[in-house]
Amino acid sequence: MSEERSGGRGRGGKKDDKAKGGERPRGGFFRRRRVCKFCADKIDYINYKDVRLLTPFIPERGKIQPRRISGTCAKHQRALQTAISRARQLALIPYVTD
Amino acid sequence: MSQNRQYELVYIVAPETGEQEIADLHTQIEQIVQRFHGTFDKTENWGRRKLAYEIGHHKEGVYVVETITGSGEMVKEIERRLRVADTIIRYLTVRVDEDLRVAQRRQDERKSTQARRRTARGLPPEPQPGERRGDMDEDDDRMDGVEGGR
Repeated sequence: MSEERSGGRGRGGKKDDKAKGGERPRGGFFRRRRVCKFCADKIDYINYKDVRLLTPFIPERGKIQPRRISGTCAKHQRALQTAISRARQLALIPYVTD
Repeated sequence: MSQNRQYELVYIVAPETGEQEIADLHTQIEQIVQRFHGTFDKTENWGRRKLAYEIGHHKEGVYVVETITGSGEMVKEIERRLRVADTIIRYLTVRVDEDLRVAQRRQDERKSTQARRRTARGLPPEPQPGERRGDMDEDDDRMDGVEGGR
């Protein structure tokens, strides 16, 4: 599972450029669009106090991972956004990390 | 009723405050809640935790989570108190009743659909322990295949 994930992330950078030359940068063979984690796990309420739930969506830099990379659906990305900003306010998650 | 809203109140107390002071803060809040005829549902002390970033030269803090039901005026008063207290380095109040209700409804819906589908397939409405896992995995795989084919 972790292998697939890192492949998905890498695509955001280099692989994307390559695909742009031909057609729309859609999934390659090895990379499939990941299913929304919250839909798959049937999480209805994204709790801002649950750091372990939120960290996978916060890359090193501390920004919120975009939907196109994480595969989260629009509805849950919105909920995730509020949960992350609440957690940031409570210093559970950093605003920025250099 | 609009008077009975559930709130989650999280506050961070400076790490050098003693146990007694933290308890005092808690009773202060409880008194406010009682004064406004609210109810105190739950309190949780997470204890000392490292902060993700420094807040006023503090690197650690004691987290306290309280769940309260009451009116907006009550929250206003509590927040005013928390703002004045210098041992509090950060607080956050979130209204949770609506979100939780929505989540609960969705869960109920999911359960009823599952029961309906299962009875249509001639299975008992509740999934048996041990059987469910495999059922779900099979479903997931099928979904993956469809997505990949596109």
